[in-house]
Amino acid sequence: MRGQKSGWSLGLAGLLAPVTLWLGLFFLVPLLLILAYSFGTSGVYGGITLGFNPSNYLKVFDPLYLEIVVRTFVIAAINTLICLLLGYPLAYFIAFKGGRWKTILILMVMVPFWTSFLIRAYAWVVILNGNGVANKTLQFLGITDGPVNLIFTPGAVTLGMAYAYLPFMILPLYAALEKFDPRLKEAAQDLGASKWHTFWRITFPLSMPGVIAGSILVFIPSAGEFVIPNLLGGSRTVLIGNLVQQQFLQARDWAFGSALAMMLAALLLAAILFYVRHVGTDKLEGV
Amino acid sequence: MEERRTMQQSPPGETERKVAVRLSGVTKSFGDFAAVDDVSLDIYEGEFFSLLGPSGCGKTTTLRMIAGFEEPTAGEISVAGQQVQGVPPYKRPVNTVFQSYAIFPHLDVFDNVAFGLKRAGVKGDELRRRVTKACGMVQLAGYEKRRPNMLSGGQQQRVALARALVNRPKVLLLDEPLGALDLKLRKELQLELRTLQEEVGITFVYVTHDQEEALTMSDRIAVMNEGKVQQVADPATLYERPRNRFVAGFIGQTNVISGKVESVNGDRVLIKTAAGAEIEAIAHEEVRVEVGAEAHLAVRPEKLRFGNSGDNVFAAEVRQIVYLGASTQYIMKLADGGRLIVYQQNAHDATVNAAVGDEAQVSCDATNCLVLGG
Repeated sequence: MRGQKSGWSLGLAGLLAPVTLWLGLFFLVPLLLILAYSFGTSGVYGGITLGFNPSNYLKVFDPLYLEIVVRTFVIAAINTLICLLLGYPLAYFIAFKGGRWKTILILMVMVPFWTSFLIRAYAWVVILNGNGVANKTLQFLGITDGPVNLIFTPGAVTLGMAYAYLPFMILPLYAALEKFDPRLKEAAQDLGASKWHTFWRITFPLSMPGVIAGSILVFIPSAGEFVIPNLLGGSRTVLIGNLVQQQFLQARDWAFGSALAMMLAALLLAAILFYVRHVGTDKLEGV
Repeated sequence: MEERRTMQQSPPGETERKVAVRLSGVTKSFGDFAAVDDVSLDIYEGEFFSLLGPSGCGKTTTLRMIAGFEEPTAGEISVAGQQVQGVPPYKRPVNTVFQSYAIFPHLDVFDNVAFGLKRAGVKGDELRRRVTKACGMVQLAGYEKRRPNMLSGGQQQRVALARALVNRPKVLLLDEPLGALDLKLRKELQLELRTLQEEVGITFVYVTHDQEEALTMSDRIAVMNEGKVQQVADPATLYERPRNRFVAGFIGQTNVISGKVESVNGDRVLIKTAAGAEIEAIAHEEVRVEVGAEAHLAVRPEKLRFGNSGDNVFAAEVRQIVYLGASTQYIMKLADGGRLIVYQQNAHDATVNAAVGDEAQVSCDATNCLVLGG
């Protein structure tokens, strides 16, 4: 019995070794490197001297950069909310009314993934620019007289992000709603709850695991996004992701870039912990 | 309408009782298939009424139509004198105990039981008092803060019951509520449910496929098959006077003997089997008999006895003896090949000494041979 047990442990260790090695080499080591860099001092012509220099972190609180941090989190939060508002009804529809089409409908949610993310982001540039489809349509319908500025606005960034991340919200929501026992809805209605009440007291609280998973899956990559703000936000809608990229590739200030990256990670972790604790299922039950 | 009255066999004197649920000509079709086919029933106030039948007989669909989860394709349903077609479930004065319990998993016992009261606007002390009382009634006092996943099947069952009863519905609908429980607990809860129903005085409409359960608990039972009501009667009548072959076979065990009607004299009918035996039987007024027509008659195994002291005597061979403790079951083979089951009580003066392979005579009285309707 004992031999068999340790045999299992050996087998398990064997199976876990590759992933441990992989994560150690390509995640943990780089993370520690970034942490070390974030306390280093950047040379004038690039390069980095390690040491303990907290000024990189203090620099983040410079109003110039603080604005970018705040903007990043606001846009990521708005994007998450938009994805939730758009995704919930669709996930609900597929889960409860999809019938035998469920699988096909969910597959269709994933269709955008078949095209490269970059191409899809560029497609929005083509749609939103001065001579793009959006402006032409607005003019054709007589809503605007000439081209209006759609691209390079926070709105354009949010639109592009919502488009890119919507499937990440829909899939966990669908997974949560699909498991929902429809008899609970009947029970609620039997006990005098209207459809509205049934949704808010029963269906929605029970789909909270999906809401939380979807929100996290959308919020984290949104906050770190740099391709979409780069293409659709221009120089006026810079997010942390762009700032980090600039520090590493253009300003060659690796120390500040690393500090920004660490701050982003810490803030995301804090935001998620706060979210899970305060929007968790426990909070919604007493409603 | 007059015909329906007779079919339902409402005991005289009960017709003045107030009707809690009335179904008139209710049909529910799914495509070409009629799950419920022209059902008319009167369920009286304060009654423990069961819908009994094999799975797929339409009993659950009937219950769901009363609850409002399904709308009838044709016919009318009224609850407490009010027509309920088109009324959504949350506006009907009925509550349901579901087969799967359907307890809200994210709410504790208190909030589950309080759910309906909160929707009705009951608050504060009144809410707490009524929920506590309901929990006590189903022996769940002290469990108010428990989560459903920490409760056993029987306890979840009680939560479902309290959650429905606490709203004081005009009618409580129960859809095989004991189906998922083990036999011992089921027997216990059967008696408890019955006692509870007598205490609260609410009309119970109980769906079950278990004939023993229905007989134990009900004031009256509607036996259903293939979407139609076969017979509505109290348990004793159902057992002693089954209207047709289906009811006779579904409620308890029975011997069915076929033959041709030789003569009819009042309620006395003489039937001749293919083997030439003549059997004297009773035909109740609701059963139509014609001389020369094919007829089936039913004899309960316990109404047969060894010897030739009865009106009808059968010669048969003992093929199998099954000792059941309080009684012994003899499986006999008639001369024409038909099977006859005989129960003998193992009473203190039991005298039967039949052995397998013996030729024996069994007999019964004409009053225990019932001609069955179609």
